[in-house]
Amino acid sequence: MAIRRKLESWLSWFPWYRRREREADLARELREHLALEAQEQRAAGLSADEAGHAAHRALGNVLRIEEDVRSAWGFQWLETPIRDVRYGLRQLRRSPGFTAVAVLTLALGIGANTAVFSLLDAVLLRPLPYSHPNHLFQLFPTQAGHAMTSTSYPDFEDWKEQSRTFQEMAAYEQDDLNVTGTSSPERLRALFSTPGLFGLLGTHPALGREFGAEDGAHVVLLSYGLWQRRYAADPGIIGKSIYLDASAYAVLGVLPPAFYFPPVEYEGGLTAQVFVPAIPNTGRGWNYLRVIGRLAPGATEHEAQTEMNGIAARLAKAYPNPNRGPRIVLGRLPEVAASGMRRTGWILFGAVGFVLLIACVNMANLLLAQGATRENEIAIRNMVGATRLRITRQLLTENLLLAAFGGLLGIVLADWALPVLASAVPENTMFFTRVHDVGVHLDSAVFAFCALAAVFSAILFGVLPAWHATRPAPTTRVTPRKGGMRGALIALEVALSLVLLAGAGLMLRSLIRLMDVDPGFPTQGLMTMDLNLSGNNYASPQEQAAFFDRVLGRLKSLPAVVSAGAVTNLPLTRNDTWNGFEIPGAHARKGVAGYHAASPDYFRTMGIPLLAGRELSNYDAARSPLVGVISRSMARKYWPHQNPIGTSIVIEPVVATATPKGTSIHTERQQLEVVGIVGDVRQLGLDDTPASELYIPYAQWPSEEMSLVVRTKSRPSSLIPMVEKAIWSADPDQPVTEVRTMDEWVAKEAASRRFLLQLIGAFALTALLLATVGIYGVVSYRTRQRTHEIGIRLALGAQKAEVLRMVLRQGILIVGFGLAAGILAAAAMARLIGNFLYGVSPLDPLTYLGAAALLAAVALLASYIPARRAARVDPAVALRSE
Amino acid sequence: MTLQEDSKSRIELMQGTLDMLVLRTLVLGPAHGHEIAKHIQRTTDDVLQVEHGSLYPALHRLERKGWVASKWEMPKGGKREFKYYRLTPAGKKQLTAEHSKWRRLVASIGRVMEPAREG
Repeated sequence: MAIRRKLESWLSWFPWYRRREREADLARELREHLALEAQEQRAAGLSADEAGHAAHRALGNVLRIEEDVRSAWGFQWLETPIRDVRYGLRQLRRSPGFTAVAVLTLALGIGANTAVFSLLDAVLLRPLPYSHPNHLFQLFPTQAGHAMTSTSYPDFEDWKEQSRTFQEMAAYEQDDLNVTGTSSPERLRALFSTPGLFGLLGTHPALGREFGAEDGAHVVLLSYGLWQRRYAADPGIIGKSIYLDASAYAVLGVLPPAFYFPPVEYEGGLTAQVFVPAIPNTGRGWNYLRVIGRLAPGATEHEAQTEMNGIAARLAKAYPNPNRGPRIVLGRLPEVAASGMRRTGWILFGAVGFVLLIACVNMANLLLAQGATRENEIAIRNMVGATRLRITRQLLTENLLLAAFGGLLGIVLADWALPVLASAVPENTMFFTRVHDVGVHLDSAVFAFCALAAVFSAILFGVLPAWHATRPAPTTRVTPRKGGMRGALIALEVALSLVLLAGAGLMLRSLIRLMDVDPGFPTQGLMTMDLNLSGNNYASPQEQAAFFDRVLGRLKSLPAVVSAGAVTNLPLTRNDTWNGFEIPGAHARKGVAGYHAASPDYFRTMGIPLLAGRELSNYDAARSPLVGVISRSMARKYWPHQNPIGTSIVIEPVVATATPKGTSIHTERQQLEVVGIVGDVRQLGLDDTPASELYIPYAQWPSEEMSLVVRTKSRPSSLIPMVEKAIWSADPDQPVTEVRTMDEWVAKEAASRRFLLQLIGAFALTALLLATVGIYGVVSYRTRQRTHEIGIRLALGAQKAEVLRMVLRQGILIVGFGLAAGILAAAAMARLIGNFLYGVSPLDPLTYLGAAALLAAVALLASYIPARRAARVDPAVALRSE
Repeated sequence: MTLQEDSKSRIELMQGTLDMLVLRTLVLGPAHGHEIAKHIQRTTDDVLQVEHGSLYPALHRLERKGWVASKWEMPKGGKREFKYYRLTPAGKKQLTAEHSKWRRLVASIGRVMEPAREG
């Protein structure tokens, strides 16, 4: 019973609850009152009629009383807005043209922002899929004051053992593994981690269990995606074995669907698909492990920092090593994970924010124009007693309605644009990895953002016009001040558009410059692919070299193939292996170069020119003297005044030997004779300067991982099946990865810049469109206002050309102000995209002038149409129009 | 009675005061709107003008706050039902509070207006 009463008293706050009953009740109550009063008056001697009138007089205005009682019921909070909304809807229906333009403008602005937000939400804002990710830190050792990514296994053990502020620590390394058996061979991203990793992250396998220290080295956990795709989501996989690099690994478990690791960029690849125990290396000089730790409860970052620095200092003293500094840098994992993307994210968000701002400016202008046509209505409302606040509220309600419709349509636009946006994200970037890992979709956070953007813009574009429209003394003529404000808004819009156009222009010029860079060889007709012979199939270097010989032989015999070669670290792939060397002699000196193992035919296949000496040859066999070919930059840098051909350098290849405690790594000095100089290539990318490269015959410097290049007569991509077949005829279990044409590598080189250009360009075009509409609107509105004046001028003998000039001058003045302000703003903001520019200064005058010229031309066109209309005015008609 | 006379001899009530008077009237027992109005007018010898129009919003406001409850009832020997308002326990508490507040107010105003009596 009590509950029912409570419910009822709660329900009674809603105006619809038993509304009719309440109203009838009130009417009856007042009726009875009037009847009683009339009865008393009659008793006092009045006639029936007079008594009724007297009773009414005593009670007062029944309608007002009812209104007051209703307000005592406390429904005003809901009823007034509903009335405002109803009235607002009627207003919007009355001017469908205005409503359509307004909703479309807002939908463009809000939709673009919503789409970009959902992308950023996926890559930047959503928390990492670990428990309390803010307590997770990545620990970086230092070298000569710089933070390095990796540390050695013994150091990691010491950190872990000695630290009290970190309750757990784990180390990991990422590499690729070949998976064979069942379906076609495949190369997988693998994470080698110490056993504590999953406990530290707070992750429990969705199926099976994680590995512990007692499980040995040959156990594996699968990512959910891999399990679904390659193993058809078979729950029976637990306990079975899969073959990784030709060894059997027992599958212990499958990780949950939302899980991904590592969250930090690692050579631009995707996150791990298989998780296996790390292989401990006993050498302290072998830095290969990344370390993360979870802060102990109650410990602060500062305490952890102090403690870790102490540990590092002790280690540096105990094991003197020039590579290790006495400091450890801590990075909060979520921040480290986002570090590579934050800048791009903010640039995108800023650019798209400009679009919304421009949309709002346009809206404000539209509303100002509309306010002028509604002056009568507002004046009447004012006269019948509506307060300024009341009218402002009504106008703001209409704006909110527009924003709501704009937001709804914006969601539709965003939903349509999102897949396009997501597919434009370039591969090999952290953006791509994260989009791949978590997916981009409209979720509650995105809807909340969209609603917020709508309300924000409604306030932004609505307050000024509403304030203006409700000025206490309504004027019938447009005051010059108001015209000035509209002009200022247009100038602002032009300025904002110019910033976007200039940004897009700078990106475009960078891209063109980048595509003009000569990579050092003709890229057309080249196909590349990676082969990695990890595992036990080709254990010895000789076997590995023999395998590549065999594969190259088969490729060369294909009819469409001109030549084929192999190399470690292809140019433009952003990979290089840097190693030191020594130039012995009286003035012994040291240097650094990118080391490559190459097949004799490599240079001919690539089209890299031989500048001096000889190329590598088939006679440079494993047991003949070690030789090498150097790049032109290396020759110039280390032998500026001599001919390097025939000189010897000392290199120190790494040799690994198995010991009972793990693998021991050490180096061996060897003499190498420089036999030739070849042209430079852009090893690390088109935007990188050519550097020192050293090519050694792969027979003498074998590698288990090489890239093949094939020069073809026909379109390279058409050859892919044939090439794969040729390789699989040499070894059916050999995965072939990264099969691409060289032109694809070139395109990939430019991909992140192209992505930014595409987005900023799209925003800039939207801005241009909106600005055009805005300028057109203002100039034609002003011209209409001056029809009378123009009529007089024409009647008094003014030439059409003069009128045209007069109207155009107005538009040009406003736009000129906007352009000047825009150039200043763009110059100030261009620094932000400085990192993404190539071969063009952030203050490139040509770009700024081009953008300004484009905007000016568009603005001129937008004002020319109304100007021409004004010049054609018939003076008689114009004069009569007043 | 002319309008001028009206404004001289009658005092307009402030909203809070009207609420208090209504609550005080209901201490005597349940009453409907007309009775309440007449009672206040009679007890103050017509000095306090209770706008019938303002009485009903006040009653509904008091009901909303839970200080009074209402019910349609037939008076003893009557022929028609009226909406009777009665004091709730919360209303009684509210009246006590209002009353002591009012008493303090009158006392302090009195001290300012007629200081001689204090001494």
